[in-house]
Amino acid sequence: MTTTNKAVLLVGTSPLYAELNQLMVERGYQVLTLAEAMAEPELVELAVEVNSVDMQAKKRQVRELDDLLPPNVPIITTSLAITATEVASWTQHPERVCGFGTLVPLVERELIEIAPALQTELNTIQATEGFFQSLGKETETVNDEVGLVFPRILTLIINEAAFTLMEKTATATDIDIAMKKGTNYPYGPLEWADRVGLDEIFAISRGLQRDLAEERYRTAPLLRKLVLAGRVGVRSGQGFYTYEEKVGVEA
Amino acid sequence: MSIKTVGVIGAGTMGAGIALVCARKGHQVMLLDANQAVLDKALVYLESILTKDVEKNKISEQEMTETLELVHLVSEMEQLADCDIVIEAVPERLDLKKSIFSQLSGICREDALLLTNTSSISITEIAGGLSHPERILGFHFFNPAPVMPLVEVIRGKKSSEENVEMAYRFAQELGKVPVLVTDTPGFIVNRIARPYYNEALRILGDHVAGVEQIDRIMKLAGGFKMGPFELQDMIGIDINFATTKSVYTDFFHEGRFKPSRIQQQMVQSGSLGRKTGEGFYDYNK
Repeated sequence: MTTTNKAVLLVGTSPLYAELNQLMVERGYQVLTLAEAMAEPELVELAVEVNSVDMQAKKRQVRELDDLLPPNVPIITTSLAITATEVASWTQHPERVCGFGTLVPLVERELIEIAPALQTELNTIQATEGFFQSLGKETETVNDEVGLVFPRILTLIINEAAFTLMEKTATATDIDIAMKKGTNYPYGPLEWADRVGLDEIFAISRGLQRDLAEERYRTAPLLRKLVLAGRVGVRSGQGFYTYEEKVGVEA
Repeated sequence: MSIKTVGVIGAGTMGAGIALVCARKGHQVMLLDANQAVLDKALVYLESILTKDVEKNKISEQEMTETLELVHLVSEMEQLADCDIVIEAVPERLDLKKSIFSQLSGICREDALLLTNTSSISITEIAGGLSHPERILGFHFFNPAPVMPLVEVIRGKKSSEENVEMAYRFAQELGKVPVLVTDTPGFIVNRIARPYYNEALRILGDHVAGVEQIDRIMKLAGGFKMGPFELQDMIGIDINFATTKSVYTDFFHEGRFKPSRIQQQMVQSGSLGRKTGEGFYDYNK
């Protein structure tokens, strides 16, 4: 491990991938893909794994990282749809796994939440905090639970907005206007969901439902169906809104 | 119908604010309250806001006088007989609101629009059993009414489309941003904002994060202007709890709306937020 290279291995398919990649490059990191790291695993100082939708893919990649990297290299993993404790349990060296959670766009996130697994050792937590602070972000360390704080609360707000739209209580546009003008939300919940990605929101919602097993975390059927139809928001050209014309969908 | 005279029932903070919104747009306003002391206080409130407008050079002294002259303080329901629109803004009690609309039905012209500023009671229920339920609609301002731009125009089960359109245009004419809502518990804002408080309380109760941490995260990670606990302290924890309970009851106890024991205990202990000097934060320091 050298200090000059500052090589970070980044894997995963979340929209966070591209933004983290860009941010790390801007901050002077050498970002390695899995293939590059396999050639020279000794270069890697830290690994970041960002899968939040496909849990099988997440498990496979985390295990690849765990097998590839020396046990002292921290593995930082998104704990949006699953706890860091569960991710750590997949590995031979759970003490080097630490969770974190945030949503795109990263440029708007002044703070990143970190959630150590029950197994995480202090060195790993410090490395995780140091890493995000080196990206110019503040950090807050919370206890490990699906969705952490901001992604979990936002998911539930979006889910309620989806129920409201599904029930035809109001149009998508009126729902978003109401939340911005009536209570000063930075974005309307439905346009916000389209920017984050409905698949990411659905994954958090499903993770909460799976792990906490309460009716309160039931996903709005409309949200589920939009994701199944591939309408995940701005990224796919359609979500709660359509981006060619930007009109509200008839739910 | 061109609207000239607006009646406002209840001269508390919301009613006085709504009266000001209407007077600023040149409407004659009949501000009604049975309690003279409340009326006197409302006048002081109107004068204080308009005086600030004058100090900030937003309006002239003359405009201030003219606006105040448009507001007539009245104490008898019969004095609302000539109003084109009446907006009710009394405390959130169904019996009180039903009684007011029942009296209005006998006093106002048949084409007068009757609006309720309720934030938590079903419009359909308020209108239920009255002779002209088609002219009763929800017209929900946000606090403080002179500042917050949103008005939820709520269509009750029997509200007529014609009246919904009229109320919508009236809100626009007042310079507000109207949204159309079908009568459901909490309408749009109070319903969709529930998780902002409720899930924050759940996260707190499960010791995932503390009060100050959650507020900091929601502001810095989420871009919200205020954290969920600061906001509860500002709104009043009792008010927030009552809204949650009402939405929970009216959705027949759907799990998503279940109130928090932590919030209940805050209310039981009398820690209601800023107004009592202590809530999730201590304001006595």
